[in-house]
Amino acid sequence: MKKLKKILSNSFLWLVMLFFYLPIFYVILFSFNESKSLTKFSGFSLQWYQKMFESRSVREAIYYTLIIAVLATIISTIVGTLTAIGLSKSNKVLKAVVLQINDIPMMNPDIVTAIGFMLLFSSLGVQKGFATILLAHVSFCIPYVILTVMPRLRQLDDNLAEAALDLGATPFQALTKVIIPQLRGSILSGALIAFTMSFDDFVISFFTSGPKVSNIAIYVYSAIKRINPTINALSTIIVVIVTITLTIVNVVPLIKEKKKRGISDEKVSA
Amino acid sequence: MLLIFLYAFTVEGNSIITLHFTFENFAKFFSDSIFPMVLARSLKIAFYTTVICILIGYPAAYIIAQQSEKVQTFIVLLITLPMWINMLIRTYSWKGILSYFEFDAEINVMVGMVYNFLPFMILQIHTSLSKLDRNLLTAAKDLGADEIQTFLRVTLPLSIPGVISGITLVFLPAVSSFFIPKLLGGGSYVLIGNLIENYFISVGNWNYGSAISLIMALVIILSMFVTKKMEKKTGEEA
Amino acid sequence: MKKFLLSVLTVLLVISMAGCSKDNNNNNGSKEFESNELYVFNWGEYIDEENIKKFEAKYGVRVYYKTFDSNEEMYTAVVGGDKYDIIVPSDYMVERMIKEKMIQPLDLSLITNIGALAEGVKSPDYDPKHEYSVPYFQGSVGIAYDKNKVSLEELEEKGWSILADPKYAGEVYMYDADRDNFLPALKALGYSVNTTSTKEIEDAYQWLLKQKQDVKPDWVNDIINDYMIGTDGVSDKALAVVYSGAATYIISENENVGYYEPKQGTNVWGDAMCIPTTCTNVKLAHAWINFMLEEEVAEANSLWVGYTSSVQAVIDKLSGEGGDFYGIESYTPRVGYPKDEEYHDDVTLDDGTKLKTKLAELGVKVK
Repeated sequence: MKKLKKILSNSFLWLVMLFFYLPIFYVILFSFNESKSLTKFSGFSLQWYQKMFESRSVREAIYYTLIIAVLATIISTIVGTLTAIGLSKSNKVLKAVVLQINDIPMMNPDIVTAIGFMLLFSSLGVQKGFATILLAHVSFCIPYVILTVMPRLRQLDDNLAEAALDLGATPFQALTKVIIPQLRGSILSGALIAFTMSFDDFVISFFTSGPKVSNIAIYVYSAIKRINPTINALSTIIVVIVTITLTIVNVVPLIKEKKKRGISDEKVSA
Repeated sequence: MLLIFLYAFTVEGNSIITLHFTFENFAKFFSDSIFPMVLARSLKIAFYTTVICILIGYPAAYIIAQQSEKVQTFIVLLITLPMWINMLIRTYSWKGILSYFEFDAEINVMVGMVYNFLPFMILQIHTSLSKLDRNLLTAAKDLGADEIQTFLRVTLPLSIPGVISGITLVFLPAVSSFFIPKLLGGGSYVLIGNLIENYFISVGNWNYGSAISLIMALVIILSMFVTKKMEKKTGEEA
Repeated sequence: MKKFLLSVLTVLLVISMAGCSKDNNNNNGSKEFESNELYVFNWGEYIDEENIKKFEAKYGVRVYYKTFDSNEEMYTAVVGGDKYDIIVPSDYMVERMIKEKMIQPLDLSLITNIGALAEGVKSPDYDPKHEYSVPYFQGSVGIAYDKNKVSLEELEEKGWSILADPKYAGEVYMYDADRDNFLPALKALGYSVNTTSTKEIEDAYQWLLKQKQDVKPDWVNDIINDYMIGTDGVSDKALAVVYSGAATYIISENENVGYYEPKQGTNVWGDAMCIPTTCTNVKLAHAWINFMLEEEVAEANSLWVGYTSSVQAVIDKLSGEGGDFYGIESYTPRVGYPKDEEYHDDVTLDDGTKLKTKLAELGVKVK
């Protein structure tokens, strides 16, 4: 009975994974397509990889996408987590109001937020560039972090922090040693979501990045009418790098562990 | 503090545009049956998307949460990875895949939407499930609850905040999404997001565009309010 | 997990930085220009990037090249304070930007290659004397058809009306953009695409409603190429409203497809290089425009993009015998059809509403 349940639940998980990865396999397949088509496969070719590596715009787009996503994730995760913690300690009305405001950027279509930012920056006379796009990304990532950390905070036992304070911890210590460790999982999820949102954002980036900075999303969307598999090649490279690293990071410790166990086993037998 | 400051940005930024509109725009919206119809359609499809995401996402998150911690991390990363591929690319490849089937526009759009938003739902529910206090579950068992009872009385109520977060993360963007319906809906499937985009960009009528998005925001806030009321109720019952 | 993320990012960063650093070393430019940087804002996938490198090498400058995917997006970004040296709007947008004083008059003495322009783009409505703009690519809107399902004779007989013929129910793709959606209707009825008559718009709207009832067309845009290329030489549907540039690509992949521009007239369009008033490097911007008209450069661009060049010599070469686009009717622009029109910007109807607003409203209702 238990076994059957396990098989059922595992196969369900596999199905979900298949659903997630089906389009990815499709993307990889078409990165090797001979023709420009994204829906009809006509033959094997590596030309899109060659084109991708030759293109400076693509390389720069990758560079900016990554650096902005990393910085935006770090900043928005810190700010978002602290705000969530602060909110959980503040009174109900303030909390409700801020949470409601928190939802606004999420339901606003990106275009509204984007134009808003653009008008703000130009009315302040700021020349748009790296700083403005980063600021925009940070601010649209924060709501996602708050939204992810908040539910976990509600499950937390308030008494723990108070106990820490009673035992002589400074508020800072209580925060870093007691509250944050308990939030670890949700902070990481929040950071992952923030990273993803930043990595994939087009509309807001387009209107806040200025003439010098571009990212992968801008590159992809602006080529929409003449889109070609270069972008599939790019996506494939990302998938491959991430998968390799993922495997190394997860498998190497396992092997090490096995080895260790092997050594201690030998010792025992000796 | 910093956050409120930042928000002042977005909100203030938006208000620059929204300042200009008159009631004329609102009247225009409601005087023509087509716009409320599009809004209703968008709400409907976002609602279905959210429901399907919960139906698939909850069991998936539950199963993931049963695994060892290392495996959990691994699976969570596996789920996030596809989202690092540009949304447009993924949607294009769905277009290709779906072209082998003869679904109607609505189902195509739905598949694309669920695909795009499901990871958020799983992540949210998983976070709330993975940190459940095991002692509570053991306690429930010791007190003679069977598995189903434990799930219904202990696990489910405790994971509700995660589900609510998930709903917010799926429903809100789903209502206003426009690339997915544009690509997968075959052009004849217009949603409110397409409308807003069209008015903002192609027509260049920011005022009317803002008016539509404001109406949309109001409707959504209303529905979120209802959700929150429901959350409180279930919370009290538990 | 943290370790994992960090390592992924380091790898990716190293790769992309290695790519960038190589290119940043060419700032040893001459004193000829105000600065050694040129900011170009162009459509996505609208240039052979080799040409950027060539330009940089020739003038010893660094080009920052950014892309957009619609006129309105570009316009909004420029209004929003982005300072570019070169932008490439389409006809009606050039008209609008001239009117709003967003682009500056050109010094034609610096554009020595201006004589290379093709016949069809020598005096466009939006800027007949090239005081503000120099054409970059050009094209038209027409009907792509599967030659095995539709005959040229039938197309010539029916013109745009073929798209509403119940005979082709389920076999028609319309173009998913407000003005292009109304184009076949207006032209089939013999009206102008820039009509100011509310009645004519209403007629066109009724035409589209009837078409929807009889034919049930699909509205698509970018994906149209793949659909018309189809599988094994058979298009997914018999007829499609397409841009000539797309048709050129479709036909090069599937020779069973033809391109036809009805005699009732169609929309002809052009994208042109302009210098915004905020430009800080006017001389270098002129050099860019001139460079893009050089035959070799324009040929490389046209080959890369597949759209019809604005340079006559390039058109002749590529469409001539042995050229890459030989025998592809959509590549060669037609001249001498007075009913072919450009879209004009800011058309106001006789009841005071804007044409584009009206079309946007009616467009949603049709679909």
